[in-house]
Amino acid sequence: MKGFNGLLTCASLCLFATFAAAAEVDVPATVQAGQAFSIHLEGSGSATFYLLGPNVILKRSVSLGSDFEVGSADVQAAGRYEAIVCDGSCSSAAFEVKAADPARLSFFLHPSRVPVASRDAIDAFAFVFDRYANLVLTPSVVDFQIKPVSGNAVSRQSPTHHGVAWMRMDSSAHEGRVQVTAVLGKVEEARVIQQVAAEPCALRMKAAESGNKVVLETEPVRDCGGNPLPDGTVVSFTKTDRSGRSTVDTPIKTGIARTEFRVDGPAKISVACGVALGNELDLKGRL
Amino acid sequence: MKRLLVNTKILMRRLAQAVGFVVGLSLVSVAQSSPQVHLNAEGLAPRPIEELTGTTIVHHYAQAWSDMAAALESSRPGTISDEFVGQAKDRLKQRIAEQAKAGVHVHIIDHGHQLKALFYSTDGAAMQLIDQAQLEIQTFDGSKLLHTDNSLHKYMVLMTPGADRWYVRDLQEISEKDF
Repeated sequence: MKGFNGLLTCASLCLFATFAAAAEVDVPATVQAGQAFSIHLEGSGSATFYLLGPNVILKRSVSLGSDFEVGSADVQAAGRYEAIVCDGSCSSAAFEVKAADPARLSFFLHPSRVPVASRDAIDAFAFVFDRYANLVLTPSVVDFQIKPVSGNAVSRQSPTHHGVAWMRMDSSAHEGRVQVTAVLGKVEEARVIQQVAAEPCALRMKAAESGNKVVLETEPVRDCGGNPLPDGTVVSFTKTDRSGRSTVDTPIKTGIARTEFRVDGPAKISVACGVALGNELDLKGRL
Repeated sequence: MKRLLVNTKILMRRLAQAVGFVVGLSLVSVAQSSPQVHLNAEGLAPRPIEELTGTTIVHHYAQAWSDMAAALESSRPGTISDEFVGQAKDRLKQRIAEQAKAGVHVHIIDHGHQLKALFYSTDGAAMQLIDQAQLEIQTFDGSKLLHTDNSLHKYMVLMTPGADRWYVRDLQEISEKDF
């Protein structure tokens, strides 16, 4: 019996010794990016500790039963990390590093030029990143502040889904610069688009006769909202007379397009710009 | 008239199902050296995906994983492919350099990826996806096996187009709770 007790004691001690030496690693479930923390290493004796992350590998000799201090620089990348401790055998534990607070917006506004009064013509989207360039997956609300050059500023709020917020909006009725600023807390990012006149509306020209020539000039070319079409927009004048048919394409300069034709007998002249047809002049062979 | 409308709706629904099925089937990488990647782009907003874009994404994402696995196994930075750019490339390069310094490497047995497209910008400049990958990751110090992890991993992926391919710009492993 005494011998049995001795054996039991010895077995218990041996078992205890085995448990005492077994290394265990105790990690938090989640850590915020860039925040130093400690990992408790259970057991006794010496061991090798490894930390594996998206952009980091640490390998250190450690004493079990102590805390391993993980520096803020070692956990800047969000993602899954594996802590492994080996003293003969290895044990491991995983934890997640989550993005820190929003610090940067990657903001896109599309397109850079858009016709006025167009439905769903402007798209804005913003990715939310922290100071370490991790995508912030915690839901937040991005405020898109829209400031046209004339008229009232408006604001549209859009919640983030998986780190991205987006919205679509109509262009306003007046041409000019529109600034859209994405705002999240103290983080701001601004982009500018240019609203330009839409298709011309009520295109009209007049003729001034001079010898066998006719000088043609449009009235100021505007869209249906009264916005002048930008200089450089091409206007086409087409003449049909006894010599045949000829077309002159000329750009708008200071809001007006001008050209001249030599005419031979009765002539008809038409004007067009984009999809808009203007008035037609019938010169009836006066020249 | 009402019956015609109902029939048209049924026809449209069946057509949509058929298209989804075809897209689902066709967007699977077939290269033997690359892992299998399946893309689901159903309900993608604000812009739907074109089939060619889907095929290109599947191909280059599979290639990126194949190249990343090779680079992490060899710990040679030169093996990082052009499939990665920006943050994803910087982090991978850093990880490989650290691996080489510590004498640690990993062997990835890739059992395939289920990609789900979440966001595709209207101008086509960025696509966000979530990847559920069944991976067996073996971590070695020299030739000593330290740890084996055989589990489902989830990644938030940001891809952007280049001249001839879609690049992996961000690859961030996330937890179940994040999605």
